[in-house]
Amino acid sequence: MKAIKKEVFNRLISSLIKSYEVIAPVKKELVSFEVIKRPEEIYFKTNSYFPVKEFFFKKNETLFRFNGNNVKVPVKKPKKKVLIGLRRCDLNSILRQDMAFIDEDVDAYYKKERENCVLIGYHCSKVEDEYCFCGSLKLLDFFDLMLYDKGKSFLVEVGSKKGEKFVKRYKQFFKESKVKKIDKVVKGSDRLKKKDISSLYDHADWEKGVKRCLSCAACNLLCPGCYCFDINDKVEIKDLSKGERCRTWAACQLRCFTRVAGEHVFRDKREDRFKHRIYHQLQYFKEKHGVNLCTGCGRCIRGCPTRIDFVKIINEMK
Amino acid sequence: MGSILARMGLCLGMMRLRMTEDKLKVGFYNITGCAGCLLSVIFNEDDLLHVAKIIDIKAFPFIKEKKNDGELDVVFMEGLVASNDDVKVLKEVRKKTKVLVALGACACTGCIPAFRNFIQKENYERKVFLRKLELRDQKPVPIDKHVKVEYYIPGCPPDKNEILTFIKDIVLGKKPRGYDKPVCFECRLNKNTCFLDKKELCLGPITNGNCNSVCINGGLVCWGCRGATPDANFETMISLLKEKGIKAKDIKDRMKTFVGLKLPKEVIR
Repeated sequence: MKAIKKEVFNRLISSLIKSYEVIAPVKKELVSFEVIKRPEEIYFKTNSYFPVKEFFFKKNETLFRFNGNNVKVPVKKPKKKVLIGLRRCDLNSILRQDMAFIDEDVDAYYKKERENCVLIGYHCSKVEDEYCFCGSLKLLDFFDLMLYDKGKSFLVEVGSKKGEKFVKRYKQFFKESKVKKIDKVVKGSDRLKKKDISSLYDHADWEKGVKRCLSCAACNLLCPGCYCFDINDKVEIKDLSKGERCRTWAACQLRCFTRVAGEHVFRDKREDRFKHRIYHQLQYFKEKHGVNLCTGCGRCIRGCPTRIDFVKIINEMK
Repeated sequence: MGSILARMGLCLGMMRLRMTEDKLKVGFYNITGCAGCLLSVIFNEDDLLHVAKIIDIKAFPFIKEKKNDGELDVVFMEGLVASNDDVKVLKEVRKKTKVLVALGACACTGCIPAFRNFIQKENYERKVFLRKLELRDQKPVPIDKHVKVEYYIPGCPPDKNEILTFIKDIVLGKKPRGYDKPVCFECRLNKNTCFLDKKELCLGPITNGNCNSVCINGGLVCWGCRGATPDANFETMISLLKEKGIKAKDIKDRMKTFVGLKLPKEVIR
């Protein structure tokens, strides 16, 4: 374990800002991950309301530009990034998106953004609020460095070779610590009691959630794991044979998500859409990749206008 | 199913048209309304000359002094039917055009002028309509109550980019893609704080977007001007707003403001 005093940590950030794009939680009205210019902007007190995925899986990505049949893929080299203040759930969601975008078929756009970035976590000392349930899902240690808040200083755990290299490069800022092991359990975070929902698909209790669902897709957009997208062509008015093909975020809670040619909608019923999201999060992804897509951050409940708590619904199923 | 085939046929028809003739003949017309929707077209200032290159604008108040219309391919109609003259103009235009597009909230849903439907006649009649005889006897309604409408571009005012995209699509022979994501979708992308969490009367979750959540970005709640999403959950929306301490009458009045005539009767009763 290493240690770093908080004022020294701020000095480290200041020097990082010179050569990296430093991304950290910032509090405006709500907390979200932003590119920061000063270390004082970082807000560690609460977890971010908005997910961090937008820095890798862009809200609006130009896949290629076309001019008639001539296609050009944009060549841009993303800046080296340091991400700070990622909670355990956020870090694991990045791992999940890596599984979706890199592990099987490589998505070059996503991969380019993920390369050359250092992930620095911030360990939750307690549960954020009544919506968190990361303790119920087997989250892994996935980080380059992890910060443990000890009041005036941070304990620093190194989690990868990249993290080791990073500490070596900035060794003047870090000190050795005598602490060898640290308790990582977040008390009270084990809220989801039923871990296997495969037999519950036809349970009548889903109705409790479906009835309260407005199909606004806030859950999809705030989820750090959701990775579905839509693709659209935008042509130029000056010359309709020129334009670009763009990828944007999609949301499975909306009818248009499964609307196909001929106007058929596969998941027309709200109930089907509602259950699909939860089953993708807690079952389908696990069947394919071995881990849940959901990392228990609770953003989809915190940001839901009607606060549909699917964890509670599942727990209460008899 | 029949209407889908009809629409597909329409698209194919347009493609053929593009091949055989030079440009689509397009007319912009307005009946009762504030003309703001036509202004939304003009607000594409930087692109307007390019638009004129790809379509043949046969009629457009503000731009063209003389209407030189004849047979038309596409007509954008702004405004609602609120006077006898409106019906006459609308029916004439419908006869002349292959495709009629309702442009803006008045044409699509009736908008604020149609709020008259929800007020007792005695409360307004004496103020205006007894003095203006020619206005007296038309119930204010969106244009599809009188004629067939192929496409709708909603909004008060409609989004200028949406109009431009629509024009590009019809020129390319593409079927314009309907938009039915709620305002909340873009609102979350824009990282706004939810007005419902602040206990305010925002209709974002049940309202069609594609406005880039412009009102909420600017600090105003959504009034629902673009109409309800196809699967709007009115019951839950109303009960949620009541839980926030908003009065039932205020909720109903707000929902009726722009799109009252297009809401299910049990919602606005």
